[in-house]
Amino acid sequence: MSSTAGESIPVGTGHIACDLHSSTVVFSKLSSSYPLKLLSPRVAEHGVAIVYVMSYGGGLVGGDCMQLIVEVGKECKLLLLSQGSTKVFKTRAGNRASTRFRRSSPQPTPSSLQDVTIQSMEVTIAPDSALFLLPDPVTCFRSASYTQMQTFHLAGSASIVLLDWVTSGRRSMGEDWDFLRYYSVNEVFVEGRRVARDVLLLDNPSLDTQIASESSSSNTTSRSPLRTLKDRLAPYSCYAMLLLYGPQTHGVVTDLQTKYRTISIFKRTAPERFLWSLTSVDDGKGTVIRAAGVDTEDVKNWFREALRGLEVVVGIDEYRKVFL
Amino acid sequence: MDTDFDETYVLLLLADSNLPTGSFVASSGFESYGTHGFLSLSSASSAGKGRAVTAGTVAFIQDSLHNYARSALPFVSDAHHIVDSFKDLEGKLKIDHDAAIEKLLKLDELYETMTLNHVAKRASKAQGVALLTLYAKGFTCPSGLSDEDHLSKSLTDLMDRLKWMVRGEKTHGHLPVCWGVLTGALGVSLLRAQHLFLFLHARSLLSSAVRLNTIGPYSSQQLLLHSVRPLVEAEVSQNKDMRTGIFVDMHPNGANNRPAMTWPLGEILAVRHDLQHSRIFNS
Repeated sequence: MSSTAGESIPVGTGHIACDLHSSTVVFSKLSSSYPLKLLSPRVAEHGVAIVYVMSYGGGLVGGDCMQLIVEVGKECKLLLLSQGSTKVFKTRAGNRASTRFRRSSPQPTPSSLQDVTIQSMEVTIAPDSALFLLPDPVTCFRSASYTQMQTFHLAGSASIVLLDWVTSGRRSMGEDWDFLRYYSVNEVFVEGRRVARDVLLLDNPSLDTQIASESSSSNTTSRSPLRTLKDRLAPYSCYAMLLLYGPQTHGVVTDLQTKYRTISIFKRTAPERFLWSLTSVDDGKGTVIRAAGVDTEDVKNWFREALRGLEVVVGIDEYRKVFL
Repeated sequence: MDTDFDETYVLLLLADSNLPTGSFVASSGFESYGTHGFLSLSSASSAGKGRAVTAGTVAFIQDSLHNYARSALPFVSDAHHIVDSFKDLEGKLKIDHDAAIEKLLKLDELYETMTLNHVAKRASKAQGVALLTLYAKGFTCPSGLSDEDHLSKSLTDLMDRLKWMVRGEKTHGHLPVCWGVLTGALGVSLLRAQHLFLFLHARSLLSSAVRLNTIGPYSSQQLLLHSVRPLVEAEVSQNKDMRTGIFVDMHPNGANNRPAMTWPLGEILAVRHDLQHSRIFNS
């Protein structure tokens, strides 16, 4: 099954709706418009479907706005994946003349809404169904500005595995947390009740806050320099947040809790290459994992192993398509 | 008496490091930061070990303050506003608390769902309820001496109700919410309440650094006066107008101005606090 580029839907929007018809997942909707692209490969496993969420050209530029609506029908298991990391290109100014003008101007330019790349996703998950949102990480290039808003509405017996991760940029180009701004909101509701709202803001101090701090009243000799993103996040180049909720995550969660409990930290002189943490939310009904790694591969490899218990939920062949 | 004196007097009380809030058992992730080997990370090569550790301590305070200002200060502001607006009801015969309580519970619940960190939640709740108790036991007028007016009696009732709801586990009683309620009830202006909130966070980090022996007591005072002061000022001025948005809308358009976590590394280390083989702090 492939995507249909609908004539009537607005730019950059997509709609996925699926239902179970005698152990086969059928898409009643699978439509998208440029630059968003949805692809669904054939899947052998009963009750399981995979959709790749992609963009034409393999990246997003400043001003791009993508909106995706997802409805996971009763007893379906839907995997939402990507092919390669979501690349967010540098913010572009409106036109060349003003760019040239701006460069010579000493005034800092406020980043307008137009320059921001926005991705939003609204998901509803029906009873006994599950969503596995396991994309590759977002990679923001130098000076890029990215906003991601994801909202998930679960029925009481629904499940979710949601991974949201970001890298420090193109290391081959010398980028190391050099983007302007990354803002990501993940909000999970269960039967209308908010159970978790994860908001991550990674922003480099802008030119105007630097100026403001330089002109502040206190004496200049003792003041600490502003901390850049790189200062704050070193030595790691990849940060991840994984949220698990619902009955179909129990196996994986139990394994992770057991693993976490065995950790005992003795005083170290230097940080480890990889770190992870586990915490319960909503009175133990949900779990949030955070991880950081010196290399993105370290983080990916850890998650592939940590979530291997999902093989029995989504199928071995299907799980193989995740964390490639 | 002059209201400036009144406010200053209350601020002096609240800034007392002997205030029984239990903040001395909290290091807000600083102990874990050191154990994980991050203290000597910053500018380690150029300076000696002692200098590097001091630099690491300041770096932690900077990043922690930045995160706390952006994630918690909006809750102080909203809670303060809810209690502060009681002043407008002065003179009315019966002041209804239900609407205010309902709002405070919503705010408290939002903080709970946004704090995805059981160690931080534990510390925040312990200190929050301590503030409510402090008000009830330490800041209300002693009976007999009372020429207590209608408004302050009403505020005492509100604080009591909130305290019992926390005790009865009807709500969480998180520190930023309780701080906003307390300062609002004591008539401290919002800006002062915000400033003191962040100052106390920074001072508590420094005092945990002294107890962990990463810096000395003189150095701690010096840092507090010279290095931390501009940091606190900058964070207040940057975040003073920020609100949670829960009483308006949480729509994407307003998203740039809403509470957020800004330091995922600090969060991971703070959650890992309990995994330390030995530890002296509770968070």
